[in-house]
Amino acid sequence: MTAARLAIAPGARPAPAPEADDREAAWVDDPDPAGGFTTWEDAAEGARVGRSHVRLAGLWCAGCAGTIEDALRSEPGVVDASASYATGRATIVWDPARTRLSSLLAAVRRAGYDAAPDAAASARALRRSEDRKALWRLFVAAFCMMQVMMYQAPVSFAAPGTLSDDLRTLLLWAAWLLSLPVVLFSAAPILRDAWNGVRLRRIGMDVPVAIGIALTFVVSSGATFAPHGVFGSEPYFDSLTMFVTFLLAGRALALRMRHRVADALEGALTRLPAAIRRIESDGTTTMIAPHRLQRGDRVRVLAGEAFPADGPIVAGETEADEALLTGESRPVAKRAGDEAIAGSINLRGAVVQRAERIGGDTRYEAIVALMRAALTSRPPLLRAADRVAAPFLWCVLVLAAIAGVAWSWLDPSRAVWVAVSILVVTCPCALSLAAPSALLAAAGALARRGVLVQRLDAIEAIASIDTVCFDKTGTLTVAGGDVPRLELQPAADALGLDETAVRARVAALATASTHPLAAALAVTSDGVAPSTEFVRIDEHPGFGVEGADRSGRRWRLGSAAWASLGEAATDAAAGPETWLGSPDGVLVARFAFDERLRDGVVASVTQLRAAGVDVRLLSGDAARRVRALADRLGVAAARGDATPADKLAEVAALQARGRRVAMVGDGLNDAPVMARADVSFAIGDATALTRSHADVVLMSRSLADVAAARTVARRAMRIVRQNLAWAAAYNLVCVPLALVGWLPPWLAGLGMATSSLVVVANALRVDRRSR
Amino acid sequence: MDVLFLLVPLSVVVVFALMAVFAWALDADQFDDLQREGARILDDDGDLDGDQRSP
Repeated sequence: MTAARLAIAPGARPAPAPEADDREAAWVDDPDPAGGFTTWEDAAEGARVGRSHVRLAGLWCAGCAGTIEDALRSEPGVVDASASYATGRATIVWDPARTRLSSLLAAVRRAGYDAAPDAAASARALRRSEDRKALWRLFVAAFCMMQVMMYQAPVSFAAPGTLSDDLRTLLLWAAWLLSLPVVLFSAAPILRDAWNGVRLRRIGMDVPVAIGIALTFVVSSGATFAPHGVFGSEPYFDSLTMFVTFLLAGRALALRMRHRVADALEGALTRLPAAIRRIESDGTTTMIAPHRLQRGDRVRVLAGEAFPADGPIVAGETEADEALLTGESRPVAKRAGDEAIAGSINLRGAVVQRAERIGGDTRYEAIVALMRAALTSRPPLLRAADRVAAPFLWCVLVLAAIAGVAWSWLDPSRAVWVAVSILVVTCPCALSLAAPSALLAAAGALARRGVLVQRLDAIEAIASIDTVCFDKTGTLTVAGGDVPRLELQPAADALGLDETAVRARVAALATASTHPLAAALAVTSDGVAPSTEFVRIDEHPGFGVEGADRSGRRWRLGSAAWASLGEAATDAAAGPETWLGSPDGVLVARFAFDERLRDGVVASVTQLRAAGVDVRLLSGDAARRVRALADRLGVAAARGDATPADKLAEVAALQARGRRVAMVGDGLNDAPVMARADVSFAIGDATALTRSHADVVLMSRSLADVAAARTVARRAMRIVRQNLAWAAAYNLVCVPLALVGWLPPWLAGLGMATSSLVVVANALRVDRRSR
Repeated sequence: MDVLFLLVPLSVVVVFALMAVFAWALDADQFDDLQREGARILDDDGDLDGDQRSP
C-alpha cells in the first residue's frame, strides 16, 4: 500500500511541466460552458464578468487562503477573489476584457500554490444552499421557541386570579405572533411533505406530525383569540415550537451526513486528470479538457499522472499503481500492448496510450457507479426509530379522533381538550429519542477508544452482525516497510561472497531503482558502503535491476524467475521477496519482506470466533497467499483473486442466506462491497474515500476494536430496547388517563418532558459501563 | 406592571430584528468557513487598517 499512499497524497499531484503552461491555457480559457467551472454574469454598466471556481492545492494553514486572495486581488482584471482553507476551493470574479483565467491560475502558482478548474462547483453550490436553508429554518424555530416559552410560562403557571385578562391576552398574542414563522416557515417542508403524502395516499412519518402541528396551532390560536370558543382556552404554543425545533435539528444533521457522502463521491471523480495531452496526427501535443477526449485518440501520460481512459499502451514502458481499482498492492508493469485502466496512476516513464473506452465505459466509472448503486440500496437512516414511531403515531391519531368524537357526545366542552391532551402526552419525543440517544452515547464511548462511528444507525447493524469479512492486504497485513530478512543461499559460499559483499552489491543496485521493495532495501542497507564495482546499472521495469561490472558480467536483483535467468519459479505463497542472481543465473541471496500482521488481528479473530461470529477473508490478492494467511489465523472460509464485483456478489450471497455481514477493508476496490455490507469498517490509514464512506473508521488502527465495537453496540441496543419498553409503558399508562380526561394538558406536557429525560439518562449508562 | 404592555411588544420587535441580523450574516457567507476566522490573528499583516501597516 505504500506506493498507493504516496500516489494519492495531496502533494503527489505533479506540477505541470513548464512547456505545458501555454497549452494548458488553451483549454482553461475555452469558453465552452461544458467545462462547468466558469459562469458568466452581467455586472454593472453592461460589462460581463466571469465567476470561476477552482480547486487549490498546497495549502498547509488557514493563513494560506489569505495569501492566495491577496495574490489574486493584486492581478489586474480581478474583481473579487475568495479562498477557503477548509474546503480547498477558491472563487474568482474576473473581467474577461482585461485578463484570462489561465493567467490567474499562473498567479496562484507564482504565490507557491497550485490551482485547477473545479468542474463540480455547481453541485456543491446547490448543497451549500440546501445546508443554509436547513440552518436558517432551524435557527428561526429555536429562537422563536425560546421566546414563546417566556410568554407562555406566566399563562401556564400563574395562580388563578393573579394574571389579569388583558395581560394574558397580550402575552398570548405575542406568543401567537412568534409561532407564525415557526409554523409557516420552519415547518413548511414538513407540512408540504405531509400534504404530498396524503395526495398520493402514502403514509409518511410527516403525516401524523403535520396533523399534530396544525391541530395544536389551530387550537392555540382559538384559545388566544376566542378564549370561550369551541377550541377551549388552553394554548400550547410552547409544545408546538419545541416539537418543531427538535424535529428540524434531527433533519439538519441527516442532511449534513448526506452531503458528506456526496462530497466524497466528488473526491473520487476528481482523480481523473483535469487536462489531457492529446497527440495530434502531425505528432504535436495539445492540452484538451477531458470531455473532449474521443475514442481512438492517442494521449501522452507522464509519470505521476492518472491514465485518462481504458486502453492499451502503444509506446513506452512503465509501472502503474492500480491498488485503488483492482486491489493489487504492488506496481504493475505495463509495456506496449498492455491494458491500462482509467484512474490508475502512471508511476514511471512517460507513455503513449490509445483511448479505447472513455467516460462512463471505463472500469473506474463502473466502480464509482457500483458504489453509488450500493449506497442507494442501503436501508434508510434511523429506521429503528421510524419503525416503531410510524405505526405508533397512527394509533395515536386514531385514538385522538375516537376520544374527540366520544367526548363530544359526553361533554362537548372537553372534546378538543382531551384530543389535544392525547396528542401532547403521546408526543413521540420519547420514542424518537429512545434509539438516537443511546446510539449517540455508544458512538461517544467508541470514539474515546479511537473508533469513529460515522453513521449512527450503523450501531444497530454492528450489534447484529454474525459474519465478518476481512480484506487482506492493507487490512490484516501491512506490506513492506519492515527490515527485509537476508537469506544467503548455498551458492554464495561457492562464489566467495559473504554477507557484507552481498549487501554492498544489493545496496548499489537498489539505490538505482524507485520500486517500493528496492527503496526498502536501499534504506535498510545503511551502514554498508554500496559496491563500486558496477560500471553500468539498468532498470527493467516489472522485473528488476541489472548491474554490469567491469568485466561486463551482469548481476540481477529482482524476482526469482528473472534473477535466475528463468531457472527458478516464483513461489507466490511466500510473500513479497527479492533475489540477487549471479551472472551465471545462480541465486545468491534472498530478501524476504514479511507481510506483518496488523496489531490486534489475532486477538480480534479469536474474540469474534469465541462470540460465535463467522470470520472470512475476502481479498483481491493471490489465492495462495490469502489461503496461507487464513491457515495462520485458523480461518476456514477464505477467498482470493476476487474482483470488486466478486466481493460484492459474495457478500450479497451471504446476505441472501440471512447473514448480517460486516466488511473490514482499506482500498477503493473495497468501497462497493463496503457500501453493500450491513456495516463497514475502514482502517484509519485507508484511502480518504474509503474512510469517508465507511460506517466505522478504526482510527486506532487496531483490529481488536472490531470485537470491542460489537460489544459496545450490543450493550447500546440493549439500552435502546429498555428505552423503547419504557416509552411504550409510559404511553400505555398515560394514554388511558388522557382518554378518560384525568390528564390536563399541562400535566401531559410535563409527563412528556419527564419521559424524555428518563430515556436520555438511561442512554448515558452505555458510556459509564464501558470504562 | 403596566410597563409590560410596552415591553412585551418591544421584545417581539427585538426578536424579529435579531433574526434579521442572523439572516444577513448567513447570507453574507459568514458561516461558510468558521476555521479561518480563528486563525486570522496569526496572519502576518493581520487585518489592521491600511494606514497602520508598516510601509
